[in-house]
Amino acid sequence: MTGLMAMRLSAYVRAQVALAPLLVALAILGIFYGGGQAEPAEAYGMSAVVLFPIFAWQVKILLDVEPDVQRHIAITAVGSRAREMGNGLLTGAVTTLVTVGLGMVLPWLLGGVSELNAKVPLGPSLVLGLWAHLVAIPPAVALGALASRPISRSAGVSALVLTGGAVLAIVLGLKGSPVPWLVPPLMATARATVNQVDVSTAALLTLWSLAWSAIAIYGYVRLRRFRP
Amino acid sequence: MHLRDLWVHYGRGAPWVLREVHAELQPGEVGIVAGRNGAGKSTLLSVIAGIRPATRGTVDDRPTVVGWVPERFAAAQPFTARRYLLQMAAIRGLTAVAARAAVDRWAQRLYLTPFLGTKMSQLSKGSAQKVGLAQALLVPPGLLVLDEPWEGLDAQTREEIPALIAEVTAAGGMVLVSDHRGETVKMPHTTQWLVHDGRLTVTAAGEAERRCVIEISVAQSQAESTAARLRADGHDVLAVRL
Repeated sequence: MTGLMAMRLSAYVRAQVALAPLLVALAILGIFYGGGQAEPAEAYGMSAVVLFPIFAWQVKILLDVEPDVQRHIAITAVGSRAREMGNGLLTGAVTTLVTVGLGMVLPWLLGGVSELNAKVPLGPSLVLGLWAHLVAIPPAVALGALASRPISRSAGVSALVLTGGAVLAIVLGLKGSPVPWLVPPLMATARATVNQVDVSTAALLTLWSLAWSAIAIYGYVRLRRFRP
Repeated sequence: MHLRDLWVHYGRGAPWVLREVHAELQPGEVGIVAGRNGAGKSTLLSVIAGIRPATRGTVDDRPTVVGWVPERFAAAQPFTARRYLLQMAAIRGLTAVAARAAVDRWAQRLYLTPFLGTKMSQLSKGSAQKVGLAQALLVPPGLLVLDEPWEGLDAQTREEIPALIAEVTAAGGMVLVSDHRGETVKMPHTTQWLVHDGRLTVTAAGEAERRCVIEISVAQSQAESTAARLRADGHDVLAVRL
């Protein structure tokens, strides 16, 4: 499994397609943190929201770099379709980690955050920030997988799935939304980071994210039956 | 390996591509999968290799190591042929030393050594197809599935394929190879798997009369009617070249 992961990551880097989402992430974070200083935890919560579509895009690119015929060879090489799909999703999650790193470090380099007068101390802010970004990864992996070539088939449908999914995640996640549970808890997590998050709230939001991702990934696996 | 009542379609409401497929393949056996273009040969092979799930039915006792050679190998990958094969060997669980030895051995066998350092995207169609063949053989397969492996290969390598198949079966492996061009007619002791309208008819080795290919030439205007007449007479029309 690690051999296939290494090969896929190598193809992702060598094909030079990894650069575009990273540059976009840099631009977005530059704009986001360029306007003034915010409290770290609160800023990290919103940073996870704006980086969510980038995460999903990275996963889609990782899955699309591999030609269909090579994916079929990979299935026979690892021994089952389930292992190949699991490997693809896991490797997709790995591609987002660099962007998470950018999201955590860049605000300090750009002077976009300040711990002075912050409601949440620096240590817990960093933990909350990391948690907020990590909570966004599983749903981004699921959305990226649904936008990938085997499922979406055309560039237009793929773009629609990716942007539609990201927009809905924000719009339906706004405070007062009648159906917030239809989307992953990006906005709910961002709202939670404004104050100290208690353990039960963090556990609930994490479970929500994992449950939403599990349902979306189940859909991906079902669709892959006809589109290996 | 047993195929039990396989039914395959490409989506809800779509027509059945394969229906009521029953067959078995024993270690050391070679099955030649024949049938017209679009008959369902590639679908059958991909289900047997474990790439595509059957809509109904099961493939039981599939060997652990399956080698898959696609009809058109994907050369658009950002690696040299050597790096690609080494990575495939690592995925198959070979150590670095064993992987290098396996890659060198198969490269030599398939006349690929001069091209190992070439980027895959710059390989000719034939050389890319050889890389596709080599990746399936890096670890001795318990089941080798070849989907029209002759496409694009030079004559020298085409001649090698029956020998490669014989080596796999001699080691106790099973082989399934699809062939709509009649390249396998010279191969002895094979089982004929004929796919027609989504159904499979298997004729065991020894039961089938040995097949041969007759090439005929007719006026272009009569091509369609001649092919139809030959089919009506029970012959397999392998190809019509205009």
